[in-house]
Amino acid sequence: MVEAIKRSKYEAYAIGIFAFLAVISILYYLSAPVYVYIIAYLWFGFIYGILQQYGRFCFASAFRDLIMVKVPRMFVGIIIGLIMLSIVNSYIVSIYPDKYIIESIGFHGLLGGLIFGIGMVFAGGCATGSLYKTGEGNMISLTVLISLIFSQAIFQATVFDWFKAHFITGKTLNDIGLTKVVFGGVGNPTAKYSFVQHLLGDTLINAVLVGLVLLIGVYIIVVRKPFLKRRARQIAATAGAVADGGTVKTGFKDELAGFWSMISASRRTSIAAILIGIVAGAQIFTLAWMQNRYNFTNFGQVLAGKPATGAPLPNGSPVSANVPSSWPQTNLTFPQVSHRNTVFDPGYWYITTQEAMFGGWVLQHAGFSMANNTYFGQNNGLPNPWLSPALLLSIGLIFGASFKALLAREFKWKFPHTKSAYAYAIGGGTLMGVGARIGLGCNIGAFYGPAAFGNPSAWVFFAGLFGGAWISAKYINFFANRRLASDEMNFDIEL
Amino acid sequence: MKFSKNDDGTYELDVTGYVCPHPQLYTLKCMEKLQDGMVMDVLIDNPSSVESITQACNGKGYEILEKTNPKAGVTALKIQK
Repeated sequence: MVEAIKRSKYEAYAIGIFAFLAVISILYYLSAPVYVYIIAYLWFGFIYGILQQYGRFCFASAFRDLIMVKVPRMFVGIIIGLIMLSIVNSYIVSIYPDKYIIESIGFHGLLGGLIFGIGMVFAGGCATGSLYKTGEGNMISLTVLISLIFSQAIFQATVFDWFKAHFITGKTLNDIGLTKVVFGGVGNPTAKYSFVQHLLGDTLINAVLVGLVLLIGVYIIVVRKPFLKRRARQIAATAGAVADGGTVKTGFKDELAGFWSMISASRRTSIAAILIGIVAGAQIFTLAWMQNRYNFTNFGQVLAGKPATGAPLPNGSPVSANVPSSWPQTNLTFPQVSHRNTVFDPGYWYITTQEAMFGGWVLQHAGFSMANNTYFGQNNGLPNPWLSPALLLSIGLIFGASFKALLAREFKWKFPHTKSAYAYAIGGGTLMGVGARIGLGCNIGAFYGPAAFGNPSAWVFFAGLFGGAWISAKYINFFANRRLASDEMNFDIEL
Repeated sequence: MKFSKNDDGTYELDVTGYVCPHPQLYTLKCMEKLQDGMVMDVLIDNPSSVESITQACNGKGYEILEKTNPKAGVTALKIQK
């Protein structure tokens, strides 16, 4: 009886979250139909949150659990999801060629990945993992998130332009996308390719082949030996006795079985990975369609009242006469929108920049000058959080994770209760923030998205991530061993 | 975090309140200290750690005898080495 009441209370909260977001969405739409665009961000975030919570989808665990506890389930998951996302992306960019994004390859990717990798293992979750865990009621992850928000904003307003001038500008390989490399067109921004060409270049080479090589590597290094040992034991047990005096030979068939056992180990993670790949593709498609439908190429134009086609007016001028009736009749100016009338509006799954913008907005309103730099001033602006498209995705993600966690009765308020928990959360979040900005993106924006788009730059960031995760995993492991060796844990064990 | 021995000869590890990677790390390190056949109950309130511990136990050949939810948000695993 008590159990049933508790269960229904959790379900009621979950329904309450859904209803709240539905009402908010309706209010946005009634305010201006074009806001359906940012509502779409919100609901895609909601779906990511559900799927991530279901699949425990976190990039930190992909590296960390592989290194520390030899569990490859999440590593396998991200590769499966990547292949799925890349197939969908290849189709989308064949229809919307201007959505074919190619990131620069350079030292910044490796360094950013390294710092981000160190941070995400200390923080106990990557940028997007910390969002979904916050949705589970985990206030340690919220602490990580707050650190990530402000470290990024401060870094961008103070150090980033200097870093960019010295380590990025003129020091990168640009326009290297696998489809362009294979079919020609590097350096030609208007080059267009068919679905099959993108599939062969971006998906087959950058996602499938590289992914397969990594999976085989993980199998050989982590899974193979214990699996074959267990397999040999099973064979010996079934045979009853072994003819050749105790040794059982395993062959290629057993290797394949081992590889498959690694791939299929966590159904939950794999299902989530496949669905996330499909949803991420659907998001790109939906948002690109809406931009066409409502006549803008960046949501900043909507906020500034300057449609993509029609007479462009200088920043700060009155609302353009050709603003559609579906738009809000406003003309927000710098620094709400950037000098170029843009705000951060990636059009795909992205996590960290919108949070940096939120940090910038808070600090701007606290009296600091945050817009006198390339990042906020020229590119992303400092819009009100409720009008920041990608920030609504992050908020939706938290609510989606709460919704799913409540339905599964996994929601629990959890607060940091030791100094070291705070130190890990704040230190990890800060490092992730700095790493994401140096690498020009997080595990999603600098790795997952670009890897699916056929960008080799993603693997440079990935290499940094792995190195960083390895360093902090070894550090944590060292202290765990020391702790276990002392009596601090109240050991009552006689062995 | 508390690791203790019960009266019935089983062991118990309480990692509630901890986030990744600590629950899975300490669970496996404590399991390593046990002898074959010994049983340990682990209390966890970090859902992703439950997934990782389950996979790690499969890989190492430890058997999860029971998985229960003593209260909302908390999972109890009974693991035999």
